[in-house]
Amino acid sequence: MTLIRRRSLIAGAALAPLAAPPFIRSARAAGTVKLGCLFSSSGTMANLEGRLVHVVRMAADEINARGGVNGSTIEVVAADPASDWPLYAQAGRQMLQEEKVAALFGCWTSVSRKTVLPVVEQNNGLLFYPLHFEGDENSANVVYVNSPPASSVIPAVDYLMSADGGSAKRFFMIGSDYVWPRTINKQLKAYWTAKGIPETSWREEYVPFGFSNFQTLINQIRTFADQPGGQPVVVLTVVGNSIPDFFREFINQAIKATDIPVLALDAVEADLEGLDTKSLVGHLNCWAYLQAAKSPANTKFLSDWASYVKAKKVPFSGETSIDPMVSTYDAVHLWALAAAKAGSFAVPEVKKAFPGISFDCPSGYKIKMTADNNYVYRGVFIGSVNEKQGFDILWQSKDTPKPVPFGV
Amino acid sequence: MQYLAKSLVQALVLLCALGGAQQAQAYDHAAITDAACGDAASSAEAARLIVTGAGDATADDLAWARSMVTATLERTLACSTGRPPVLSLRNRAAYDTAAAMLTLLAAPEPDARTAALRTLSRKPEQTPAAVLDRATAAERDPKLKAALAEFAQLADLGSPDLARRGRAISHLADAPSTRVATQLATLRADPAYVADAGFRTTVEAAITRVDRWMLVGQVLSMLYNGLSFASILFMSAVGLAVIFGLMGVINLAQGEFIMMGAYGTFLVQQGLRAVAPGLVEWYLPIAIIPVFLVTAGIGVLLEVGLIRHLYKRPLMSLLATWAVSLFLVNLVRVVFGTQNLQFDTPFYVRGGIAVVGDFIITWNRLFAIGFAGLSLAGTWLLLRRTPFGLNVRAVTQNRDMAACVGIATRRVDMLAFGLGSGLAGLAGLALSPLYNVNPQMGTNFVIDSFMVVVLGGVAALEGTVLAALGIGQLNVLVEPFYGAVAAKVIVLLLTIAFLQWRPEGLFALQGRRR
Amino acid sequence: MNRLFNDRLFTTVLALLAIGVVVLVAMPGAISPYMVNATGQLAAFALLAVSLDLIWGYAGVLSLGHGLYFALGGYVVAMHLLKHAMAVTGKVPDFMQFMGWSEFPFYWSGFEHFGYAAVMAVVLTILLAGACGYVSFRSRVGGVYFSIITQAFVYVAMLLMFRNDTGFGGNNGMTGFSVVFGFDMADPAVTRGLAAVSLLVLVVALVGCRSLVTSRFGRLVIACRDDEARLRSLGYGTLPIKLGVWCLSAVLAAIAGFLYVPQVGIINPRLLSPDVSLEIAVWVAIGGRGALSGAVIGAILVNGVKFWLSSRAPELWPFILSGLVVLVVLVFPNGLLDLGRWRPRLIATPSVVKRT
Repeated sequence: MTLIRRRSLIAGAALAPLAAPPFIRSARAAGTVKLGCLFSSSGTMANLEGRLVHVVRMAADEINARGGVNGSTIEVVAADPASDWPLYAQAGRQMLQEEKVAALFGCWTSVSRKTVLPVVEQNNGLLFYPLHFEGDENSANVVYVNSPPASSVIPAVDYLMSADGGSAKRFFMIGSDYVWPRTINKQLKAYWTAKGIPETSWREEYVPFGFSNFQTLINQIRTFADQPGGQPVVVLTVVGNSIPDFFREFINQAIKATDIPVLALDAVEADLEGLDTKSLVGHLNCWAYLQAAKSPANTKFLSDWASYVKAKKVPFSGETSIDPMVSTYDAVHLWALAAAKAGSFAVPEVKKAFPGISFDCPSGYKIKMTADNNYVYRGVFIGSVNEKQGFDILWQSKDTPKPVPFGV
Repeated sequence: MQYLAKSLVQALVLLCALGGAQQAQAYDHAAITDAACGDAASSAEAARLIVTGAGDATADDLAWARSMVTATLERTLACSTGRPPVLSLRNRAAYDTAAAMLTLLAAPEPDARTAALRTLSRKPEQTPAAVLDRATAAERDPKLKAALAEFAQLADLGSPDLARRGRAISHLADAPSTRVATQLATLRADPAYVADAGFRTTVEAAITRVDRWMLVGQVLSMLYNGLSFASILFMSAVGLAVIFGLMGVINLAQGEFIMMGAYGTFLVQQGLRAVAPGLVEWYLPIAIIPVFLVTAGIGVLLEVGLIRHLYKRPLMSLLATWAVSLFLVNLVRVVFGTQNLQFDTPFYVRGGIAVVGDFIITWNRLFAIGFAGLSLAGTWLLLRRTPFGLNVRAVTQNRDMAACVGIATRRVDMLAFGLGSGLAGLAGLALSPLYNVNPQMGTNFVIDSFMVVVLGGVAALEGTVLAALGIGQLNVLVEPFYGAVAAKVIVLLLTIAFLQWRPEGLFALQGRRR
Repeated sequence: MNRLFNDRLFTTVLALLAIGVVVLVAMPGAISPYMVNATGQLAAFALLAVSLDLIWGYAGVLSLGHGLYFALGGYVVAMHLLKHAMAVTGKVPDFMQFMGWSEFPFYWSGFEHFGYAAVMAVVLTILLAGACGYVSFRSRVGGVYFSIITQAFVYVAMLLMFRNDTGFGGNNGMTGFSVVFGFDMADPAVTRGLAAVSLLVLVVALVGCRSLVTSRFGRLVIACRDDEARLRSLGYGTLPIKLGVWCLSAVLAAIAGFLYVPQVGIINPRLLSPDVSLEIAVWVAIGGRGALSGAVIGAILVNGVKFWLSSRAPELWPFILSGLVVLVVLVFPNGLLDLGRWRPRLIATPSVVKRT
């Protein structure tokens, strides 16, 4: 008899989550407002996304130190979707429905954004997305803090095709096999076709996520480069850990940037950690922020981050700062500015307050939002790898170009 | 406005410099430096000035130009603006060429001059005749002198003298590559190709020769890539094979032992940096023993604490080792963080050497192949030539009988589990120059190494070697046609199919199926 | 009938699940939408665990690739939902946009009809599972070999589905299921309905499986697990027995996937990762294999805690899970169902389940 009772107890405990009464805590009670983070601290994306959680916390601390927003202190709630795309939706749903967060900050890959998107739209939430991405999307519930391709890819490709960039004529595209690289390459092909470049001058290859064995592919690149038709370049849209793996093999096969330049669209300073960048000098990337940006806001951001890392024992380098970190930092501030302007945390009110707000981004540009869409006006940088595992600024835009979500 | 004024000044300086270069042959240091500090066009002009002047500049000027070019490349040039310019891609190429020419002319070390000549021969048309003549006249090293003569021949490719052209062509064909093949193929469109039968024969012979060597290069390259992949597979699987063969335990934490081996190597590197900075370059060989001992020790602990109690239930030991792997990944994640570890790349695993055609031997892969060979030899000796190995083989073949004749099977199990784990740790060491080292790295190896073990069968090490070679080569063979993913899929499906036909793998134990 | 319900624990679990269905249907608003959705997902997981328990706990064959059939059901229903959503809203699925396709690949035809999709889910599963099972059981691949081969199968499937060229959305998978049976997916009533259906299917499947394992066929299955050679020498063909229960298990897994995907709103190859399939075995092992109620409890307990932790202390989850597994394999070899029978003894030996 006892045995059965105990067993029923277990069963009861196991089913408790099903039968439990609704357990809703209001985000607005007790003078706090909750912000949710959807960045993985484990799995393949952890090395990059993991940093962003800490940036959100740092920005929140900064705002709280100034007295918070609308009299409320910010509380950051962080989930770990473990680089598992369905878990992003699950965690997002939980954040919005259970934790009642005022806004979500999250996602690196386009896959995860696409997964969370329906959840955010159904619950009328607000997601700040800090990565440059493939465009072709304009949800009313997402703030696209970083740049669409027109201002994150085309300037760099134009540079490579100019005399200064070596007058590139032929293109080898390598990407991870998912929506961002596929879309970017599709748009690039359309762009080149419009410029009268024949289809024979490019090649397209896709590798799976987390792919690391680039030996054969780089052999193919060398063969491609030695064929006739003009200066070859590699447009690299692999993501995550495949980027350092690709570069490592490039170094080993002793190919220099002056022979075959690589435009590594998703490469950030963090990807060069641990690489011997002497042999990589000259390869390019293109972002809305580079650590080398000269501005008082950047000096402040870099020193704040370094001391935050030290004080909170954050398990990431305090000396590396990457665009998505800055974009996340901008995002928290943009949200706070809008919420203060609206005098409310309600999503419709905050959204109404977006047009006209602006913020001094560490990149040195004054970023702003308009009534046209939920995109942010940002500057553009083309970076060139230097010996010290960083990027030098090769070119930067005069001001903040208008973000164009669709087409190129 | 200010910008415009600056450009104007630069242009003026440039004009003066140009004028100066034509009269006096010496470099105008200030003018060239100013031009190099200017915008892209003026910086390109500075490089051009240096290159055209190099033929008859004084030795002092050459030395100055060398340091100036190096400073420009390294962004340490002292500019009046305070900030040295970032070189554009085109200018970087120009400065690289200039640096190579100046090295050829002014470097005292023959090795540096050889390297410079190699750089220049990629684009022979960029080297002015004056520079080449001067280098040839000054060269005392017989090997380099011969190389310079060959280099001079390359310039004859466009010469009107067909005999000289022919010599240049056959010289070009001496170093076969896709680039050379392309160059030679364009000669078929040359008027001389149609007009002159002898020239046609020379070109065709050169093309045939290049194509033949290119094929050789391709085959070698494929074999090398396959061997390199096979050695990685072998190393990640050999520890598993020992454990699985002996105890029938599938150790799903194998990948994490590989990961811990890599982390151990990292710790050795950091330790050396703190204690003996002079030895940091040698951290890979130094780490072999500590890494093996530590991972083997953890393996023994795991065996005593967990696996030992589950021998009768192989499926449960599978779940238990999975839990261990989950635990280890997250423990390392908490302790070290998720970022890739920063390994030094010592000289012996950096770069590579071009052999024939497009075939390059990269040192890091050769290191892995050599390391795999050593692990194989060590393991083989241990299993075949020592009393411990005899015990392991006895227990593998018949556990009960081995126990009857007095072998302490539990002890053998424990030590063998340690051996398997230690070998996995060594795999991590060998992989650290090849792959990113992070807490997740082990998971990539699990399925592949299982397939190697199962395909090879549990009876002998030869099975594991053969299976690794087979899977590795097949993968590399299929990859260029269908891509990396399809290659993996095809190879896995073939392996599964083979196992349906021979469920016990290549080398099965004799006797009744267990 | 008596034999069907003579296990008190089984009856209790069944009753609780039935109460869940009633609450969902009769008392809208009693449970928050998030909880309703979580309940539905847990029910799908429980069904998946039951399917694995059938083959592992009763037939003694551990599949480390059951995610394959779960995902198969999921992909089929996702194809239906996407085509349905496109018919209603006219929105072209994302993956077709970035692949530059204007129409669906030919193998997508017919999936706009729910009936066709449902039949295909079952037929495809039986074909796939039948083929894999037939070759393996015929050549008497068993034990860990079978586990590894099933794991390799699910891995192969994952690699294939990762490719966008395969035509199922690649790494992104499929998402954006806005409409189901013409109803708006965002409607709380739809969420409730899906959850209730999942629970109901689970109840039916439990009763069905229970009657199967207590039947004559069930005894043969268990005999197969305990000593296959003896059963064969008694004149029974073990191949059809194993194949039958294997296919049934695969179909149940596919049904679980069919129910799961509309509720989570996305399917992608991650479901095919070997880790996911291994985790299913962990649920069953934790709950207790060889008892259907154990599988249900294991799945609900593990996933319930996982959901609960995911926004509170996500970093703790892997440690808790690995600790639970080690605890179970060392101390409670038959899963947490042993809790009642436990006597202080450091390392337990299994009593019911013999070496497989």
